[in-house]
This record gives sequence, C-alpha cells and structure tokens, in this order.
Amino acid sequence: MTRQFKSRLFNSAVVAALLIATCVMIGLIMTIFIKGAPAISLDFITAPAQNFGAGGGIAYQIIGSLIMVAVAACLVMPMAFGVSLYLSEFVTSAHMKKILLTALLTLNGVPSITFGIFGLIFFVYGLGTGISWFVGSIILAMMMLPTITLSTYQTINSIPTIYRENAYALGMSQSQTIWHVLLPQGFHGAVTGLLIALARAIGETAPIMFIATAFSGVSAPRGLNEPVSTLPTHILALAQQATNPQALQNGWGAALTLMCLVLFFSLTALIFRYKLQKGQTL
Amino acid sequence: MIITTRAILGSIFCFAFSATGLTACTASDVNKVAISGSSTVMPIIATAAEDYRAHHTDTRLIVNAGGSGVGISQLGRGQIDIGMMSRDIRPKEYEQFKGLDFTVHAIGRDAVIPVISSEVYDAGVTHLERKQIAAIYRGEISNWKDLGGPDKEILVIDKEASRGTRQVFMEYILGDKDGLAKGADLVLGSNNEEQTALTQSDSAIGMLSLAWLDDDVRGLSLKLEGGQIAHPTLDHVIDGTFPIVRDLIVVTTQNSSSEALDFISFLKSDAGQTIVSKTGYIPLSSSSSSSSSSSSSYY
Amino acid sequence: MSTQPDIAPRWPTFFFKRVGVTRLAIYTSVAVSALSILAICLTLILNGLPILGQGGIHLLTSDWNPASGHYGILPMLYGTVTVALIAMLIAAPLGILSAIAISEYLPRAFRIPVKAALELLAGIPSIIYGLIGIALLAPFLSDVFDLQSGRTIFAGGILLAVMILPTIVTLSEDALHNIPHVYRETGAGLGYYRYEIIKDILWPIAKSDIIGAMLLALGRALGETMAVMLVIGSIDRIPSPLTNILSPGQTITSKLGREISETAFGSPHFQALIFMALILLVIAVVLTASAQFMTKTETRLVD
Repeated sequence: MTRQFKSRLFNSAVVAALLIATCVMIGLIMTIFIKGAPAISLDFITAPAQNFGAGGGIAYQIIGSLIMVAVAACLVMPMAFGVSLYLSEFVTSAHMKKILLTALLTLNGVPSITFGIFGLIFFVYGLGTGISWFVGSIILAMMMLPTITLSTYQTINSIPTIYRENAYALGMSQSQTIWHVLLPQGFHGAVTGLLIALARAIGETAPIMFIATAFSGVSAPRGLNEPVSTLPTHILALAQQATNPQALQNGWGAALTLMCLVLFFSLTALIFRYKLQKGQTL
Repeated sequence: MIITTRAILGSIFCFAFSATGLTACTASDVNKVAISGSSTVMPIIATAAEDYRAHHTDTRLIVNAGGSGVGISQLGRGQIDIGMMSRDIRPKEYEQFKGLDFTVHAIGRDAVIPVISSEVYDAGVTHLERKQIAAIYRGEISNWKDLGGPDKEILVIDKEASRGTRQVFMEYILGDKDGLAKGADLVLGSNNEEQTALTQSDSAIGMLSLAWLDDDVRGLSLKLEGGQIAHPTLDHVIDGTFPIVRDLIVVTTQNSSSEALDFISFLKSDAGQTIVSKTGYIPLSSSSSSSSSSSSSYY
Repeated sequence: MSTQPDIAPRWPTFFFKRVGVTRLAIYTSVAVSALSILAICLTLILNGLPILGQGGIHLLTSDWNPASGHYGILPMLYGTVTVALIAMLIAAPLGILSAIAISEYLPRAFRIPVKAALELLAGIPSIIYGLIGIALLAPFLSDVFDLQSGRTIFAGGILLAVMILPTIVTLSEDALHNIPHVYRETGAGLGYYRYEIIKDILWPIAKSDIIGAMLLALGRALGETMAVMLVIGSIDRIPSPLTNILSPGQTITSKLGREISETAFGSPHFQALIFMALILLVIAVVLTASAQFMTKTETRLVD
C-alpha cells in the first residue's frame, strides 16, 4: 500500500464519517420537526391535556417545566456565585484549586437518576415532603450547580489580576472588589452558564419523574407541596402509548416544544458568549 | 451596556421569583386530593375527576399512575389520600402499615384477559387452556405452531411484578401471584405500554385489562376445565364464567380528607358508575358478587 | 470615616463590609454545596450497603426475583456495560474521524457554525431520544432483522451512540484545534501527507485529550436513563449467546427508573436497587475523574 493510497483511503474515511455524522444529526432534528409540526397549534400550547394526553394540549406541562427551572435557577445562582468566588478569590493553593475543580467536574458526570434517587430518599421519604415540585427544583438546582459554577469561575478567573490589584491599591476591601469589580464582569459568564444549565435542566426526566411530577389533574401549583406536570415526563407518558396515533402525535408535538425551549436557551447562551468575547476589552 | 443587560436580567429574575412565590403562597382555599396507584383504575378516576371538578371547583384532584403496589405504599406512607388498586390488599401490606385502618371501596369490576396479536388470532388461535398459557409463560412452549397457529416465535410479554394486573393474572395462570415467568421476553409497566408492544408485534402474548382490548389486541377465550369456553366479553365476566376477575378498588385510611370520601361517593353514584362502564369496565350493580352495591344518586 | 476612599462604596458593600456578609455568604454557599454532595453519597451508601450484610455474595448471580429474595444484579451490569460498549464502538470512530474532518479538512469559515450546531445538538433531551427509539427505531429494527420485538440491547446502544456523538466530536475537535499550526506546517514542510501529519504528529499530542473525551462520553452513556429505559425490553436476563445483542435486556438505569418508586422503602429489594445505583455512581465518578486526569497532562507545546 503506497503512501498515496493510504492517504486517499484515510481522506475518504474522514469525509465519509463526517457525512454520516451530519446526516444522522440532521435527520434527528428533521424528524423531530417534521413529526412534531402537525401537532403544534395555538390550541395545543394553551390548552390543558385531556384523556391521558391523547387529547388536548400541553399548557400546564409548559408552565410546570418553566416554573420548576425558574425556581431552580433562583436557588442555584447565589450558590454558584459563592462557590466560584470562593474558588477564585479565597483558594490560593493551586493544588487545592485543581482538586476542587475536579470535584465539580465529577459532580457534572453523576448520572441524573442518582439525583432523583437522592431526592426520593432524602426529601420524599426522609423529610416526608411527599411529591413536591419544590423538591424537584432543589434537585435541579443541584444538577445545575457545576455547570454554572464552572462557567462563572472561568470568567472571573480570567479577569486579569491587574483589576484586583488596582482595586486594592485604591483601598477597596475584598468584598468591595468582589461587588464592584469582579461581579459586574463575571456576570456574563454566570448568565451563559445559567442558560446552558437551563437547557439541560428543562429536558431532564429522570431526576424529577418520581419526586415532583404527576400525570393528570395538575394545573399551576398552589403550594410548595404539590406535584406539577412537566414536558419531559409528559413525553414519557405519551411514548408509552406509542401506538395510539393521537397520543403519539401529541408526543411529537410536546417533543418539538421541548426542543424549541432547549434551543432557545442554548442559542441565547451562544449569542451571549460571543457577545462576551467581542465585548471583552483590556 | 452591562448595566442595561444586568437590569433586564435582574428584573426577569425578580419577576420569575415573585411570580412563583405568589403562586406558592396563594391562600389554599383549594382542597387537594392526591390519588395514585393502578394504571387499570386510573382511566376511571381521571375521567371522573374531570367531571367532578366541573361541579366542585374548590377541590383539586391530582391523579398519578405507578401501579397497585405504588398505590398502597404511598397511601401507607401518608403521601396520598386515595390509593387505586386492581387487586386486593395483601396481608403483608396490612402488616406493614399496622397503624392504619384501610377502608376498601369497590368501584367496579374488571377482568384480566390473556391477549394476543391480531395476526395470530386471525390465524386461528382463539382459545387456550390455562396450562397452555402457563407453559408459554414458563418458556416451555415457544412457537405458535405448537398451539395450532402460524410458525412464529411467541413474544411473551410480562409485566412488572408489583402491578395488580400481573398478580391477578399469575394467580390464575401459574397458581402463584408472584410466580416467575421464565419464558418472558419483555417486561413492561402500565397497560398502555403493554398495548403498545402488543400492537407493534405480530406474534405476541400479554395480559391486559378488559377495557384495553381493540382490533389489534384480541382477547383469548379460556378453555376451562369442564371443556366450556369462557369468552372475554362483558356477559361472561358479569355472569362469572370468565375466571380471571378482580374488583377495582380505591382505598382510604382514617386520615383521608372528607373531600376524598366525597369523591369516592361520587364514584359509587350513578354518574360515577356510568363513567366506569363508559371506560370499558363493569359497574358494581351488574356484577353478581360485589362488596358494596350501594349506588346512590349523587346529584 | 477618613479612611474611606473617594470611590466611596454605596450600599451594599458598605453594609456588607461592616457585617462581613459577603464572606459569610460565600462560605455558606460553599458549605451548602459541599454538604449536598456529601448528602448524596451518604444517602446512597447508607441505603445500599446493608444489602451486602445479608448474603452479599448472592448479588453476583443472574437471578433477580424479589419475591423469593434473589437479587442477582449480573443481568443489569451486563446490560449496562454492553449498551455503553455498543455506543462507544459506534460513536468513537465516527466521532473522532468527524472531529478530524472538522479540524483539519473543513474550511475555516465553516468551523464556527459547525461548532455551534454541535453544541445545540448535544443538548437534545434524552427523553426525545427515547421517543424516537420506541416510535421509530424499535419497529425499524424489528423489520430489518426480522425480530419479534425491536426492543433490544442493540436499540439502546444505537440511541446512546447518537446521544454521545456530539460530545465526542466537540471535545476531540477542541483537542485537535488547540495544537498550534506550526506543527502542521512543519510536517507539510517535510513532505508529509495530511493523513501522516495527523497520524504521526497531531494524534500523539491530542491523544490524551481525546481519550479523556471518550471517558467522559462513556460515563454519560453509562448513566443515561430515559433513552434506554423505553427500548431495552426490561427483561432481567443475560442473553443466551452472550453476544446476542438483538435480544432484550436490562440496564441498571432502566431497572432503577422502573422499580424505585414501586419498592417499599428500606426493604431488601430497595437496598439492592440502591446498591446498584451506588455501583453506577462509583463507575461514573471514576470515569469522569479519570477523564480529568487525562486532559490535565500538559505536554509542552511549541508556540
């Protein structure tokens, strides 16, 4: 086998791989859109589900999903800021930093159902809260923490030291530096991380399916101790009726809606990140 | 620019937070009844809940599935007000929740039918004996041709062990409600899922409740000991010929709220029982043996 | 207050500094985060390890029958490993070659949109994969391979492969792209073909990062629940020729997803399930941590 032959072989393999991968991914997205588009209508999005989801729409599922992730975001943001500031300002030994960062990244790799089981044992059984959307938000917040922390940490850490030195030279204390110098510039990183984490959290099923959700009869929750219905768990229920054409149709519609929400968050994150890169001056 | 962005994002956050906070703190003038359990009973409860809600706007009924096992265990732990079950409560469960008084309310009757894919049914396999079905589930028979059907491998669909439907079925077929089905190929959960899998296959056998039979999922008739054929029809179930039957029950404890008990009386009333038969089950009054045939008029 | 600088702080720092609230807040959040991680580990350990005390060796059988007290977890382990293996065998070559294509072969202008698209794809929720699996893939497989049911280990593997593909491509592409151009130019100057540059120059440098990416993807594949739960068949059995991936099976995540909410809390059944969750957690943590170690090895790059 001549070098040229091997080279041509490799080139074709590479191009073929890219083509296959592209076709698969495009096919995936197109399937969701094509199958889901017929189900989408204003009615679908604003009407409550009926008849096991085979009829009606997904209004309360959308509301449930949004409420859960919104509250989860509120819970996790202070934590993420705190941990990332701790890592960048209060931890001085590089060794310690590496360990803590590895710990965070490892937390990111924990299977999502593990969080669900933890929520079940700790909150639902242990603390006796029962099926509660708020517990679901807490669990989602725990899942979102590593992503947001890492993103915020990277942004704050990459603020050149000279900013801090200038601030200290002017007599600002550490907390003043944090509030007036670091946080304003690190905020973008936090928001980007938040959007990425939201995109992931809104699509999660396993952590919340047995601690926060119910199937029918739920509307907007009136207390902390109630279940909600969310898009991913609704899709799960509909997928189990895959041979009922209406249910399946609604399932695709719900999947498309979920995709659109995820895409919205992801795209916003991307745009934010590029704006951040462009807007960063020194 | 940063200030403006921050202001916008900050206000979105505050809005979201206060919106959720407000909804969370709204005076609960609304009474909540949490119901969960058998996926067989759920269609009745879900439909009845929609009707009930129309007349009782101050009561919220939240319905979940999960299986009869989940129903009784959540009820025992006090997480729900009403547990739906498609089998009787086991002594072990009475034992487990000793401090509670379970009140069993029957709201209908149902049969568990051995079902097969329509292709096999149309090819001639329309009735089987108990021991043949047992042999299939134990893995001793694996091809439909041994039973007079087409030459296809049998896809044996089993259910999760905690499901009431399975326990009732296995009690009759294998003689042991927790019997192991060595010949099983798939293990599924709710009635919905089983129906889906049976429809997707053309050589499957499974177990479903009466209300889920349709053109793609045909019920087998049972050839009983005396040679009589019991059809999976409403008449044979009502007059007792078809042997695999169970009461559909809802269970409460002494801690269940009065709204819960009110909903249960609705279920037992004429309006509720109409829903039972519309969903495909057998209402209380037409069954020959029922534990409470007091169907009062509710409205 | 003469020591106050001219850029006098408004509230909140005025107040915060007085009370040290900022520092308190930071320490609190770190404590809460650390405690929650600890809580997760402790909960699983406390609820799962007791099963070892009751004849732990019996866990290593393949007979799972809670009614008779048998908790053999081998079928679940086998299914988890096999599904992840299939996913890696499909996605790794495809992913690495695609990454090479994007980094080395694709014109510069395409890179940013492609990377953006990959990030968006990596975020597709797993339940949607499950829906596609049960509605499209399983019937397709049962037609193509003439099976009784398309709910097989193979179906789970394919879905996972598509799930982890974007992750592998993105991370590998980053690894390759970070190598300065000098390396490539040197190789071209020596008369190397592009394929030889990749094989002899770039691959040894990017290797550890790419392996780290694969470990990360493997960890994700092992821990995935929804995509496999619907299409795996959920039968607690090891397929009889071990390599028959066209038969239904069971994974740890699918078992947990289906049974955890139906099991009585604290019973041996529950403990056995939590024990499996513990095993899963340990494997995932080990994989993710090793991925970190692989990507941290810094080779001195000429710049």
